[in-house]
Amino acid sequence: MTALELNGISKSFKNDEVLSGLSLSAEQGETVVIFGPSGTGKTVLLRLISGIYDPDDGDIRLSGSSVIGIAPERRGVGMAFQNFALYPHMEAAENIASPLQARGGTSAQIAEKVRDIASLLKIDHVLSHRPKELSNGQKQRTALARALVAGPKILLLDDPLRNVDAKLRFEMRLELPRLLREFQSTTLYVTQDYKEAMALGDRIAVLLDGGFAQVATPEDIYRDPVNLEVAKLFGDPTINLIPGRIVAANGGTHADLAGSTIDLGAGYAHAAGREIYAGIRPEAISISQTASEGALPVELIAVTPLNERVVMLLHLADGTEFFASAPEEGAAGSREHGPAFASIDPAALLIFARDSGQRIQPQTSNRQTV
Amino acid sequence: MHHTSTAERILRGFLLTLVLLFFLFPIFWIFLMSFQTNEDILRIPPSLFFTPTLENYIALISGRLSTVAGDLDIAFMRNLWNSVLLSSLSVGVALILGVPAAYAFARFKFRLGENIAFTLLSFRFAPPLLVLLPLSLYFSELGLSDTYLGLVWVYQLIALPLILWIVRGYFEDISPDIENAYRIDGHSWATTFRKIAIPLARPGIAAASLLAFIFCWNNFVFALVLASADKQPVTVGALAFVTASGIQYGQVAAAIVLSVTPTLMLALYAQRYLVEGLSLGAVKG
Amino acid sequence: MAKQAPEQPARAPAAVALHLDAVDKFYGDPANPAVHAVKNFSMEVGQGEIVALLGSSGCGKTSTLRMIAGFETVSRGEINLAGRQIDSLPPARRNVAMAFEGYSLYPPLTVRDNIAFALKAAKLEQSEVKRKVDHISALLEIEPILDKYPSSLSGGQQQRASLARALIRKADLYLLDEPMSQLEPQLRSVLRGRIKSYLIEQGLTSVFVTHDQTEANALADRIAVMEDGVLQQIASPAELKDRPANLFVATFIGEPPMNVFPAKLSVNGGHLSIAVEGAGSASGFSVELGEIACPPGSALQDGASVHLGVRPHSVALGKGDTRGLVVSNQWLGDQTHVVIETAGQAMVAVSYGRVEDALGAEIAFSIPPRAVHLFAEDDGRALLHGREVVG
Repeated sequence: MTALELNGISKSFKNDEVLSGLSLSAEQGETVVIFGPSGTGKTVLLRLISGIYDPDDGDIRLSGSSVIGIAPERRGVGMAFQNFALYPHMEAAENIASPLQARGGTSAQIAEKVRDIASLLKIDHVLSHRPKELSNGQKQRTALARALVAGPKILLLDDPLRNVDAKLRFEMRLELPRLLREFQSTTLYVTQDYKEAMALGDRIAVLLDGGFAQVATPEDIYRDPVNLEVAKLFGDPTINLIPGRIVAANGGTHADLAGSTIDLGAGYAHAAGREIYAGIRPEAISISQTASEGALPVELIAVTPLNERVVMLLHLADGTEFFASAPEEGAAGSREHGPAFASIDPAALLIFARDSGQRIQPQTSNRQTV
Repeated sequence: MHHTSTAERILRGFLLTLVLLFFLFPIFWIFLMSFQTNEDILRIPPSLFFTPTLENYIALISGRLSTVAGDLDIAFMRNLWNSVLLSSLSVGVALILGVPAAYAFARFKFRLGENIAFTLLSFRFAPPLLVLLPLSLYFSELGLSDTYLGLVWVYQLIALPLILWIVRGYFEDISPDIENAYRIDGHSWATTFRKIAIPLARPGIAAASLLAFIFCWNNFVFALVLASADKQPVTVGALAFVTASGIQYGQVAAAIVLSVTPTLMLALYAQRYLVEGLSLGAVKG
Repeated sequence: MAKQAPEQPARAPAAVALHLDAVDKFYGDPANPAVHAVKNFSMEVGQGEIVALLGSSGCGKTSTLRMIAGFETVSRGEINLAGRQIDSLPPARRNVAMAFEGYSLYPPLTVRDNIAFALKAAKLEQSEVKRKVDHISALLEIEPILDKYPSSLSGGQQQRASLARALIRKADLYLLDEPMSQLEPQLRSVLRGRIKSYLIEQGLTSVFVTHDQTEANALADRIAVMEDGVLQQIASPAELKDRPANLFVATFIGEPPMNVFPAKLSVNGGHLSIAVEGAGSASGFSVELGEIACPPGSALQDGASVHLGVRPHSVALGKGDTRGLVVSNQWLGDQTHVVIETAGQAMVAVSYGRVEDALGAEIAFSIPPRAVHLFAEDDGRALLHGREVVG
């Protein structure tokens, strides 16, 4: 059965429409990451599902039945807030016990469940602390424990790693999938961090302009984004977008990019003459000192380390800025400033229409065997 | 720049002493006066050395005031009791009405909400005497004049706006997400109000109650106009010390000491709630 | 920046511009300080050099910056800038420009006037002011907001404006407090590159505070790693990564952080090997370092207990005879983070391709001798870096 179903959800605040006609469904046990830049209504969406807000329009169904008009306390969802929202006047253990107390049970049973989940999340040693005595990492784990402890069917996580430092965020990112699997909850996970989205999501739903621009697996979203906006949200540095146009020549097509050309093969014949952005992920560009077939002449301006990789700032012939990245150790090619050549993996080339930002897909001809 | 030199420290100490003297001297002087006879008090030049007497206190507690012109009955203890009764009842009623109202004003944005809240505050703007005249007429119509009920009602003009506006601010400072989280945990609205909102706003409620209590305690005109001798509080009762044979400074001082004591004790007790920080580290330390 | 050879500092140090000599910072009573925020801190910054003060919150980095700027007194020690002792001068007379982390723009002025403020105060010609403002605005992408007021700007925009205001001034030293903390993620890597080029181009000596090592790595010539008020190590990003001075620096620098295992050394005829014991049912593994000089008296003795450190990027996946269980496998587009359970603990490995092994599968891995770091068990000081002894 579909564990969660959103049907044509709309929500406005004053005259500002945050969500318009949004739909999504999630299977039992699935983790769907709601991803998008800030201010796109990700948090609003979770609040609609938990019942803090009511939608202006549309239906929300949990386990098949509509929850519109049902109070938050009767929806049986678990939620972790970005700012933790711990009860400051209660100890960590009381915080975690709160959903269990609401559901009833002897205090011995409750205490045991609290201990179990606390040890799973490695906070058993701070159970008697008030929130103000907890570190940010411990607060975040307490909030997570509270959301999970009653084993909710639907788990809503609102950017739970936002307020913890990079190291803890990384640790938790590795730990979360196992935890979520253990609880079998259907999870909606909100984040602005594309790495979290790719690492945690069975599917990623990209929220832009009040609706989902694309809902797909991390692989599909990264390799096959539907439009420019979606493509730009993934990768660090983000995807290079080089303006140009598609030109048909010699039975094939190539892209005229800021004074350079890249061969596109036969697939883009249908788009000949169109103004485009060529989207190239930095890791799909390799830089070398020597010219090779199809490589673009570039100028290497600056090299900056980024974690264990290096990011190279390059200029095309007309000064257009773009980035290439490579592993630091044993990276092939030039690291010296000055003229160089950039070869681009044609399979990784994404073409977007300049006017609409929509992807232009290559058309594979019938004769070709794939 | 952040170093404190010795000279600076001495100067700071000196100034502090000066300020303390300025504020505490009257209280100290009144305290001394309450143990002196009228003759000692009026002696010129005044002296710090005198034979302490409990006469003033005895007179107040026994209710018999002996003056040169003869004995006089005073109802000071009765007045003190009235003050305690009126002030605590008024604050109690104001809490019962004001705290939920403050919560509503803080959490729900409803039509005319802001206007209603402001109207309640504006009761404090009107000069009390202006309100009192028509009020005393209504009260005698309704049979409310010279009743505790009537007085407590009128005292709401003082206590309710205070409680409403102070506590509202504290409720607004509680992150709604803390309450949202509690409801999602499965608790009803009422439980959330009782278990989350009230405890977290406790410092505000304590502060507002204390202020309201003091304001009620110190009120003069309402009781002067609306209450007769057996219902009047100490503020009005103190008028009795202005006698035909002069002002009984000793008793006045003793009365002040006695009537300050309850509020002072209340303030000391409430202090621990007042200093307890509001944000108990819900989000960040 | 001429060459980015990882083995040597990016830029040759020039004449000393800023010198901190045994600087201490106490808060509270000097005789019995409540907080000893900065302890015996010494550092030289060359003319035109970019130095990052990196550490977690409360490590003393901000106190150090504020002492240089003059917002905090120096409890002990000396600060010299451009040949003058400045630690007793008021901030305005130190000739230092500072960009604050918080919102420090003048609210009644437009962004343009905010940026041009110092130049106008210095009585620069109007055309020159305009040229400079235009240049820095293009660099930091603030042209569209030049005529707006600070209150209408987002955090990222305010921070860019505040950076522009600091960088446009003429000063002996540029102090930047968390210069990129508020920046929009999409702009961050672009601006890092541009700001660095600008600082180098103009030859500006700068010291900036950050808690973000990515930022420190990207901008700084050298990074001063601080912890608990003590300078742990100051070195180029490559040096910090390849030759961390102690276990703290080793685990602090690097994303994901270095894997650390308790290990035992065995020295057999000059042949050094490192054994990581198994725990319970999990088997251990060992790394052969080969012929290593282990002079008597050094900590590298047969049977000695040490910490073995291996960076996630150095773990070679799919080869070798050591096996572990895949407990997490996360593909991030341009790299994959795999967590392998081995020797009773979790080890993180990073691969630049996709790793197909499913959760629960066995995966082979090996640790190249060059990737080994050894640290003393007691104080965590570095004992050996594999790259120094293995060809």
